[in-house]
Amino acid sequence: MTQLNGTITPAPSGRNTPKPAPRIWSVSDPLFRGSRAPPRQVSIQPPAQQPGPDAAIIIDNGSWQTKAGWSFDKTPRLTSPPLMSRYRDRKIGRTLCFVGSDIYADATTRGQSKYAFDPGSSIVGNWDVMEGILDNIFLKLGVDGADGGVGRPIVMTEPVANLGYSQKTMTEIIFECYSAPSLAYGIDSLFSYDYNKGSTGLVVSSAHTSTHIIPVVDNRALLTQATRLNWGGYQNADYLMKLLRLKYPTFPGKLNDTQVEEILREHCYISQDYERELSSYLEWTGLEERNHVVQFPFSEQAVVEKSPEELARMAEKRKESGRRLQEQAAKMRLEKLIRKEQELEYYKSLQQRITTETKKETKRLLDAEDFKDEIALDRRIRELDKSVRKARTKDVGGTENEEDEEPPTFPLLDVPDEELDEAGLKQKRHQRLMKSNHEARQRAKAEKEREKARIAEEERLDEERRDKDLEGWLDERRTARSTILQRIKDRERLKADLGNRKSLASQMRMKNIANLASDTPGRKRRRGGAAAGGDDDTFGANDEDWGVYRQIATGEGSDDEDEEDMDTTLKNLEAQLLKYDPNFTEEHTLAAQSDWSKSLVHAFLRGPWPFNPESQREINQIHLNVERIRVPEVVFQPSIAGLDQAGLVEIASNIITQRLPNPVHRESILKDVFLTGGNTLFKGFEDRLRTELRAVLPAGAPLAVRSAKDPIYDAWKGAAQWAGTQRWKDARVTREEYLEKGPEYLKEHNLGNAYAG
Amino acid sequence: MAPATPAADDSHQQLLDSLDLIPVPKPFRNPNWNPPVRRNKNVKQIVADASRKEASVMATQNNSGVSTPQPGAGGGPDNVSVARATQNLSGLAVSDGPVATYTNIESAPSLHPASQKRYCDLTGLLAPYTDPKTRLRYHNKEIFGVVRTLGQGAAEQYLEARGAHVVLK
Repeated sequence: MTQLNGTITPAPSGRNTPKPAPRIWSVSDPLFRGSRAPPRQVSIQPPAQQPGPDAAIIIDNGSWQTKAGWSFDKTPRLTSPPLMSRYRDRKIGRTLCFVGSDIYADATTRGQSKYAFDPGSSIVGNWDVMEGILDNIFLKLGVDGADGGVGRPIVMTEPVANLGYSQKTMTEIIFECYSAPSLAYGIDSLFSYDYNKGSTGLVVSSAHTSTHIIPVVDNRALLTQATRLNWGGYQNADYLMKLLRLKYPTFPGKLNDTQVEEILREHCYISQDYERELSSYLEWTGLEERNHVVQFPFSEQAVVEKSPEELARMAEKRKESGRRLQEQAAKMRLEKLIRKEQELEYYKSLQQRITTETKKETKRLLDAEDFKDEIALDRRIRELDKSVRKARTKDVGGTENEEDEEPPTFPLLDVPDEELDEAGLKQKRHQRLMKSNHEARQRAKAEKEREKARIAEEERLDEERRDKDLEGWLDERRTARSTILQRIKDRERLKADLGNRKSLASQMRMKNIANLASDTPGRKRRRGGAAAGGDDDTFGANDEDWGVYRQIATGEGSDDEDEEDMDTTLKNLEAQLLKYDPNFTEEHTLAAQSDWSKSLVHAFLRGPWPFNPESQREINQIHLNVERIRVPEVVFQPSIAGLDQAGLVEIASNIITQRLPNPVHRESILKDVFLTGGNTLFKGFEDRLRTELRAVLPAGAPLAVRSAKDPIYDAWKGAAQWAGTQRWKDARVTREEYLEKGPEYLKEHNLGNAYAG
Repeated sequence: MAPATPAADDSHQQLLDSLDLIPVPKPFRNPNWNPPVRRNKNVKQIVADASRKEASVMATQNNSGVSTPQPGAGGGPDNVSVARATQNLSGLAVSDGPVATYTNIESAPSLHPASQKRYCDLTGLLAPYTDPKTRLRYHNKEIFGVVRTLGQGAAEQYLEARGAHVVLK
């Protein structure tokens, strides 16, 4: 983003201005609410209230939370998830049992927990857990069980059109196991509607596992017209979890259900105009507002941050020791130089003396100094002279001038072998070697010179061409650039193709591997190499043969050299184009085009901020953007999540306009569209439903949409209020009736299910 | 691993002990309550059981009584008539009119053209294109690049989120 600054005009979206630092949300683990000692053997009379014999125990048996309390309570005393964990602790040799939020006490209790319902429905699937939950309710409410039973009437909620088996089993448990004096069932959303003083209207209840739409006329629910959409908070969380797992496949943290539910509650909302909002959701402008960052716990790798003073001190120290080393080396060099100079002096004086001495004396002197003859001495002197000069120039800092040096002579090479003795032959061999060495060096030098000249010439020609024919020159550059781009693309495609087992590239690669591995060379190699068969393997004779390993190597860094080469060439070309082509700007370079701030995928994954894959903090972040509206939208458009059912509005309009048995109620029903259930708590739910219903209803139709005062607890409150009334007395099934008529006996009432047979 | 301090260990065990419901007396429970074995069923099983039962009731009804009268049936005529009466009753209850059941209140598939909208499987944005190879819907060229570089099985997972994956039975 900053690299574009100043070079181009600012993009209209304000891409140049860096986004403010993101606001970061966090997630919490499911809270363990602490140890509240369960009231043991508490009297049935709570201190403040004196419940009469009709004080009932109200249980809203929800699949998200069990809510339970006395009918005289204002709010449920007990709300806990319908979970139980019962397991045997081998260490202490005892079976332990925890219910509700107590299962969050530690990792074991949590890991052993079981859910009471059939996942994704509000039908009880595990009756042992259900019994545990009921036990816990009665214990926490202080039921003393004086008469060997619960001793108080029970009011319980059940799903719309509950399955006969579930209802029967629950009734059995309540009467057989807990010996309750009476039991009444009701539908949670109808209790909520009743509590909110509704009598005729359309109840839209979007709860944890399903969404129900129930028309109610004169306090009586038209259950045959009721419709269930199999989507609720549970499915939302499930869907969000799937999306997040796919969005961040390598996410290091662990996403658990409660965290996803929390994310759903905190960040998601219902869009008022889904498609319009969606189309601009990932646009740069305002993305920092729409994109929510959720930070998961992480541990940063310890990077010791050094202060500038410390860094300066360390650099100083390094320099100091370097200097000391240099001084030492210089001193040693100097000593060596002095020694050599002394030696040189000595040998020179020796040479002088030799010229004046007799042959015998010369021989003696030379022998004393271990020289074979005068030539050897001479060579030694020259060597010393050279090294002294070299050392001097080095210390002075001058460059060694090799051109000055006279070319070495190789006199022995011209002498035929017959005239030489053993030592002479040896020396001749040595000289021959030296000569070839020398010649090789000379050749290399010449080669270098030529190359330099060639490059200079090329540059000159290039410049000449550019001056003469700029357009043609530029065209050449452009084609070269596009060729490289094409090659880069091809390489990427090849890489992608190798990922697919059936692609041609993969098959070629497998063939090569098989050829290399087989003992008898394959057809291909025989064709490529020398035609000789048998064990005459010529693999490697040709340098190109080794390229086969390059072909079969995939994965990281297979083509590093090549890649770097292409990158540098591309950079050079782009630099030239930038300099001479007026139409080629920074924006056209590959680097700018692959800039992250222009990438939609980056905006989706990381929002409008750069991403550093090294940072543990950023790796453990989840960026929510489209998901914020995508997930809650499913209730309105179930096809998003692949649910083959009509959406909420379609169902509602269908019920109102077509399925009502008596259309005279239509207007009064429309005057009270009532929302309840935890899934309707999304911001904008009520408004969205109102606008969409308005759009499908005939013009001028009255419409009023309202929400329950408390979409989660009003069902319990409604049931508590209902208990004790005459309506309740008429609707409950007493123990005597149960014993007489069996577990499938049910009294129909306005707030309950019909007898399904 | 360093052993936890005994005090900390103890306090946690004490906490667990205080939460444990096993030792708490539950006088309200019937000590003779014997739950039926295999009472845990999922919705699918329950629905299947119910429909099987209903079918068998229908079959017995069709096979007895009116269609195949049994004049002078021995045994206990009283018992037979009572059984027949209940059968007729349950038949009446079923044929009485539409009754809301768990399965028949489910919403039908949408008939509205608006439900044909296509959204990008990766980003959720509007998707005008479909990749014929992976069958994934995608928003633009850049997303298509991502689609084509998806790892093995990832495409299928995306399809599963939309309920369009291949189910092998």
